[in-house]
Amino acid sequence: MSKEYDREFETKFQETTRLGLEVVKESEEDRLMTLSVGPQHPGSGHFRFTIKVDGDYIVYCDPDPGYVHRGEEKMSEYRNFIQNIPHLERPVIHDSTNITYSYSLAVEELLGIEVPRRGQFIRAIASELNRQVYTLYWLAIYGIFLGHSTMFMWPAGDRELFIDLLTALSGARVTHAYNIPGGVRNDAPNGFKEKCLQYVKYFEKRLVEYEDIFYNNPLFRQRTENVGILTKEDAINLGVTGSVLRASGIPYDIRKVEPYDVYDEIDFKVQYMKTCDSFARAYVPFLDMRESCNIIKQLLDKMPDSGEVRLKLQSNPKGQPGESYKRVESGRGALGYYIVSDGSPKPYRVKISVGSFRNILALPHLLIGSKLGDMPSIYWALNYWPVEADR
Amino acid sequence: MMSSNISKNSENDPKINQSSQKNNHNQTNLKDLEPKNSDNFIDRSLNLENSIYSEISSKFTNKVKLKYSKSKRIKIYVEPEDIVEVAEFLKANIGFDHAESVCGTDYPDDNSIEVIYHLNSYSREDLSPIIFALSTKTSRNNSRLPSLIRVFNSVEYHERETFEMLGVYFEGHPRNERFLLPEDWADIPPLRKDFQIKGR
Amino acid sequence: MATAPKEFRFGNFVASIVWLVFWIIIIVTLVVLPLIFVILFYVPLPYAGDEVLTPYLFFSMMVDPTRTVPIIDFLIHTDLFRAAIFPGFAYAAFIAAATIYIERKFLAKMQLRTGPFYAGRFEGILQLIADGLKLISKEVIIPSGADKPLFWATPIIFVATAAAATALIPVAPGWVASDLDVGILAIFAILGFFPLLALLFSWASNSKYPFIGGLRALHQLIAFEIPFILSALPIVLLSGSLNLSEMVESQYLFWFFAVAPISAFVFYISSLAELERVPFDLPEAESEIVAGWLTETSGMIYGLIQLGTYVKLYVLAALFVVLFLGGWMGPQIFPQELIPNYTGEKIYNATVVNGIFWFTLKTFGMIMLILLPRGINPRIRIDILLHTGWYKLIVLAFINIFIVLTLIYGGIITPGGLQ
Repeated sequence: MSKEYDREFETKFQETTRLGLEVVKESEEDRLMTLSVGPQHPGSGHFRFTIKVDGDYIVYCDPDPGYVHRGEEKMSEYRNFIQNIPHLERPVIHDSTNITYSYSLAVEELLGIEVPRRGQFIRAIASELNRQVYTLYWLAIYGIFLGHSTMFMWPAGDRELFIDLLTALSGARVTHAYNIPGGVRNDAPNGFKEKCLQYVKYFEKRLVEYEDIFYNNPLFRQRTENVGILTKEDAINLGVTGSVLRASGIPYDIRKVEPYDVYDEIDFKVQYMKTCDSFARAYVPFLDMRESCNIIKQLLDKMPDSGEVRLKLQSNPKGQPGESYKRVESGRGALGYYIVSDGSPKPYRVKISVGSFRNILALPHLLIGSKLGDMPSIYWALNYWPVEADR
Repeated sequence: MMSSNISKNSENDPKINQSSQKNNHNQTNLKDLEPKNSDNFIDRSLNLENSIYSEISSKFTNKVKLKYSKSKRIKIYVEPEDIVEVAEFLKANIGFDHAESVCGTDYPDDNSIEVIYHLNSYSREDLSPIIFALSTKTSRNNSRLPSLIRVFNSVEYHERETFEMLGVYFEGHPRNERFLLPEDWADIPPLRKDFQIKGR
Repeated sequence: MATAPKEFRFGNFVASIVWLVFWIIIIVTLVVLPLIFVILFYVPLPYAGDEVLTPYLFFSMMVDPTRTVPIIDFLIHTDLFRAAIFPGFAYAAFIAAATIYIERKFLAKMQLRTGPFYAGRFEGILQLIADGLKLISKEVIIPSGADKPLFWATPIIFVATAAAATALIPVAPGWVASDLDVGILAIFAILGFFPLLALLFSWASNSKYPFIGGLRALHQLIAFEIPFILSALPIVLLSGSLNLSEMVESQYLFWFFAVAPISAFVFYISSLAELERVPFDLPEAESEIVAGWLTETSGMIYGLIQLGTYVKLYVLAALFVVLFLGGWMGPQIFPQELIPNYTGEKIYNATVVNGIFWFTLKTFGMIMLILLPRGINPRIRIDILLHTGWYKLIVLAFINIFIVLTLIYGGIITPGGLQ
């Protein structure tokens, strides 16, 4: 801990203490109240951050993740490429198809294989469906964070639609382990296409209702608009990703920037906003859900009716020594895997670069100087999933 | 903390300025969600990667070594004492403005730890598909590296994680401290190869 | 399920019951009855109708039910009955319990759920009893360093204060426990206690989150007490009285909602704030300060505070009905005689029953209106809340006062009705 850092914090602290600099130095510490928004606090999840409040203003924030650190990266070095799938999806079980998607892409590059075309489509569909599941869950928590209990129940209920579809595909409710190197585990069942279309159409109607009850609610607007401004420059400097980045006016979506599998055949728009506030960060995932419905329809339309979905691999696949960095757009932004292989069936090093871990850097930046009442709306709008950040 | 330092840098850069002005130009209301013409920033040719490398190598002739250059991925190696200089050049002159991840790999056979910064760009649209891997090495016994936090704000937590997972001390980083591990962690850094999982 | 012991004999079981009954009879006849008569020798017996209420008379109602009528008539006109049972606490507590059930079902239907479903045959109607039993059987945890006497006393005072407010509500003509001449002032005075109790409890629990919650409750009181009282002022002007019963009686022609709708709106918003209900539930804001001033409550302490809160909800809904919706006034739908040619008018009074019916109906309508925002609104922020209270609601309340004054000075309305 360097003294320089202390001094920097102190100047920032004084700038943001709205009561001015003429405050007597000794009483400053007495006036502050340290609150632990800790692992047992209903407003944090498996995450702790210490804040200091001066009246109603937050003057200090120190994130302390790691309560659900599982050591996924170390565990990956002890298992072969296929065995890694079921435990790598653990960090974010609500988005488990996406977190194994980029892993599969990276392993496929190392092994030098290509997925059959129908397999690529089914992968993309499963990934879109799972992103909907995640975003609905996130939206539900955002609703209850702001005290809107209906907005907790509705998305949590509609999430079951997509869980149904994913159960039909993979046989599991949340931990699918569906994407594997070489394709997907099994083919879609009969009638999947019709069922999926029907559900998506119903869901699009529900999205209109969400907008009416939640996003157009004047109280919700009051609480989120002009709250927690993350300017475009700050967003770039802090390297945030996903909806947080797109809410700051940068149309950056891995599906568009660096299309993987079949996404270059799909016609869709990158949703972004320029208001840079909490409302934009809350609204962009909603727009993404709407766009995702479009993508699912197109994918279903273009998907070949039959064919292989999976490339048969030998039992302990080995690749050439080398390294690979692949990323996909998950519910929380870019999700990258950096895998080093030494030519053996087990990866030498696996690094998971997750969106949550990058977005949390913006939390102290946004919280310091804001009000205590804004804490939930800023924190959860960052699209932070504590378990994923800890890995 | 360092935002003033970095914003000065970005003001000097004409490319960043141009693009940000372009984006800020039409400040709109919430409903205006017209996307950009997205076809512009997909570049499939390898020419871009090669031109980036040639730009770097013309500046730092002997200091950088190209590890590989494949589609949308470049990896170069620099010595620890040059890394800050190279990173500043990458940020100011080429436009890689943030780090996606900082990753360390332990090589006990070479007695070295490789630290890789995966850089990416938000401000230059043609660069955004490219991951630029900036790698350097340090010894396992006295693992010290200069921190890139003065160049890229975004490496703050990544470097902190690398410190606790691999024991690489980043000079100039404000908090080389525990981050993810338990508060009472008293073992060797867990991502080193000589740390064994029990029962394996 | 309990299993029968090995040496179980049915005869033994019957014998044990007989043995128990034998001892009960012995103890009652030899100890309890003499004790009762010794006490009754010194206590002056009340008159029930024409007769002295002796124990013989009391027991005779078991034999002849018609003789109970004067006794019941006597009982329901005592002050204790009025304060404790009918217009008072027990009635309010019953409505509070019904409110909790209705709230859960109502909210569930809004959120496409079923709500309580399994306790009881019909739609989980016994859920509240189950919850109550659970709360009673739970351990009360007192945080270390808490101010113990205050920590225990505050929930009880909370319920007592809520009960005190119910005594002032007129339910039907003549049916009010305490018919004060300054009824409306007394109600506002009693309601002013609640944030103080919240602060007291939060201080007593020796914890940070309750403390912030208590302070927020205090801020909320100060911001909303003034528009709250100002919004009742037009009614005082219109009825020319501070007595709640007289306010109701002066609405025999039209409801005061017709001339004071803005005041009614201000009153409604302020009562949401007083009740700490959803857009204004800052003192209990879950995601910010855990559970606000209720963070350290557990077991029956929590249960008591919940009971007090819902009784308070009844009081405010009833007050709205009394002030703006004409109290017990309504068309006479009950017949004058319940059974033809039976003169039991002492128990069944058609006017009173009609008043109770309309009052309860309107009160439940108001309660539903107070419950509604919980399903459609998120929580408000403290600075917006203070701004709403100080800038908007006070101005709105004054506007309606001026309207009413204009009407009165213009001679369109006199206190007590149209010209």
